[in-house]
Amino acid sequence: MKKSPNKKIGYTVFILAMLLFPALANPKWLAIGSTFLIFSVVGLSEDIILGKGGMFNMGHALFFGIGAYTAAIANHTFGIPILYAIPLAILIPALCGIILAGPIIHLRGDYLLVATIGFNIVFLQLVENDIFGITGGPNGIFGLDTPTFLGFDLASPTAIYYLGVAVLLLTFYVMANLDKSKAGRALHYLRLDDLAANSIGINTRGYKIFAFGLGAGIAGLAGVLLAIQYSAVSPEAFNFMQSVLFFSIVLVGGSSLPGILMGTFVMFVLPEIFRDFATWRYFIFGFAMILAMILRPEGIFPARFGKIPDYFKKG
Amino acid sequence: MDIFFQQLVNGLTIGSIFALVALGYTMVYGIMKLINFAHGDLVAMSAFVGLSVYDQFLGGTTNSLVAVLTIFAATGVIIAMAGIILERVAYRPLRNAPRLSAVVSALGASLVIQNGIMLIWGPRMRFFPADILPATTWNIGGVYISFIQVVILVVSLLIMAGLIFFIDKTRVGAAIRATSIDHDASRLMGIDVNRIITLIFVIGTFLGAVGGLFIGLYYRGINFNMGWNYGLYAFVAAIIGGIGNIPGAMVGGMLLGIFKAFIAGYVSSTWADAFTFTLLIAILVVRPTGIMGERVAEKV
Repeated sequence: MKKSPNKKIGYTVFILAMLLFPALANPKWLAIGSTFLIFSVVGLSEDIILGKGGMFNMGHALFFGIGAYTAAIANHTFGIPILYAIPLAILIPALCGIILAGPIIHLRGDYLLVATIGFNIVFLQLVENDIFGITGGPNGIFGLDTPTFLGFDLASPTAIYYLGVAVLLLTFYVMANLDKSKAGRALHYLRLDDLAANSIGINTRGYKIFAFGLGAGIAGLAGVLLAIQYSAVSPEAFNFMQSVLFFSIVLVGGSSLPGILMGTFVMFVLPEIFRDFATWRYFIFGFAMILAMILRPEGIFPARFGKIPDYFKKG
Repeated sequence: MDIFFQQLVNGLTIGSIFALVALGYTMVYGIMKLINFAHGDLVAMSAFVGLSVYDQFLGGTTNSLVAVLTIFAATGVIIAMAGIILERVAYRPLRNAPRLSAVVSALGASLVIQNGIMLIWGPRMRFFPADILPATTWNIGGVYISFIQVVILVVSLLIMAGLIFFIDKTRVGAAIRATSIDHDASRLMGIDVNRIITLIFVIGTFLGAVGGLFIGLYYRGINFNMGWNYGLYAFVAAIIGGIGNIPGAMVGGMLLGIFKAFIAGYVSSTWADAFTFTLLIAILVVRPTGIMGERVAEKV
C-alpha cells in the first residue's frame, strides 16, 4: 500500500511530537504520556485479532495481564532482573494465546466472544485467589526491582517513556509489515470470507491462531511496561471491564492507526487528566459510544482502501 | 446428603432468576441477532426502582400481598418503558448497520444505565427490608426452604410456562417466531416487524425486572454494578442453552444455578466464577452452539 504524502507528514509529525514531548513535560505529564503509549500498544495488538483477523476477542486484558504477571513473578519470586524477563513475558502470553485459541477458534462470532470473556474471568479469579501462592492475591505484587541497563537507571519517568516510545514504534513496524506480508493478506481475506479463503487453500485455522499469538505477545510486552511503570501489578488492571474498553477502542476508532490512538487517548488518558470527572466518566463514555456508532457505524477513522473489515458492512 | 439437597434447592432458586434474566437475552438475540449487553443493567435498575417504589409509597407495609404486587407492577411498567427507550435510542438507528456497531452501542448503553444508577442512587450497597414477605422457613427432613424461595420457584415456573404457551400457541407468538427467522419475509406477510421488536423488548425487560426484584427480595443487598455480574451469568445460561432458543435459556439457567450452588457448597464460592466459565468453555468446545442450539449451516 502506498502512503499518500499527507499520511507520511502526519506520521512524521506524530513521531517527532512523541520524541520531543519529554522536553516540555513535567513528571506527572510524562507518566500520563507513558500510560498513553502502553495502552496504545495494547489497543493495536487487539486490532491484530479483532480488526485484522475479524475474531471477536473480548478478553484481551488477559494477555496484557499474563505479560505483566509473568514479568512480576519472574522478578519477585525468581529474582530475575525485570528487563531479562521481557522475552519470557512476550513468549508466555503468545503461547497462552495459541493454546487457548486452539480449541475455540472455530466458534462463530458471538460464541467466540463469550469464550474469550470466560478466559479473562477465569484468569482474574486464579490471580485473585493467589494460585500457587505467587500472584499475591487481590493486592497483587508490589515492590518490583527497578530496571537498570548498562548503568542507566531505567526507573525514571523519562526512561520509561522512551521505552514506551520504542515499543510503540516496534508495534507500528510489526503492523505495517503484517499488512504487506502473506499472513496479513491471508487474515484480510479470511476476515472477508472465511469459507472462501479456506477453499482456495489458505490455512484459515493456522492464520487465526497466528493472529491470536501475535496479538497476545505484543500485549504481553505492553504488560511488562505497565509492571515497570508502577513497579507493581494488581488484578483490577486486567479485569473484564478493561477488555471491554480495548474492544470498544478498536471498533469506535475504526480499526485504523489514528482511530485506535485517539480511542486510547479518550478512554484511558482523559480520565487520568480529569480525576474529578471519574464519577461521570463512564456515563459520558457510554453516550459517546452510542452516538459514535449511530453517526459513524464504521468507526470514527475507518480503515480504507479495501481494508474495511466485513463486520463493518451490512449482512 | 443434606448439603446436596440444600444446595439443590438454593441452586434451583438462583437458577430460576438466571433463567428469567436469560430469557431477555435470548429473545432479543433470536429476533435481532444482537447481544443486548444493557439487559443486565436494566435488571439491576429494576431492583433499585422496586426499592424506591416501596420506600416512597408503601413505607413500612409488611407481609402484604397488595404491596408486593404493586412493587412488581410498577417496576415492571417502568423497566419495560426503559427497555422501549433503549431500543429506540441505541438499537433502532443501527438496525441496518454492521453487527459489531450494535454491540458497541449496547456496551455504551450498558455503561450509561449502570452509571446512571450510580449517579441517582449512589455507589453504596442498598438493602431491601427483610419483612416485605413473610420470613417463614420450612424444615423438610433437614433441608431448609424459605417462603421467598417457594415464591421464586413457583412464579418463575408459571411465567415460563405462560411464555412458552404464548410463543407456541398464539397468533402474536407465531409472528414472533416468523420474525426471528426472516424479517423481510415476515414484513411481506403483513407482520409489523418494528412492533414485534418493541414487544420483544417489553416482554424481555419485564421478565428481567421480575428477576431483578427477586434478586433484591432473596439476597436483599443490591449494588449499582451488580447488573454485569448477574447479566453475565444469565447470558452464559442463554449461551449454554443455545442462544435464541427459549426453552434452552430456561434449562441453561436452571443448570447453571444448580452448578453454581454445588460449587459454593462443595468447593468454595470464591472459585465459582472460574468453574462456571471453565464449564462454559468446555461446553462450547464440545457443542459449539450450546446444548439446545440448532446446528446452523455455515453458508447458504
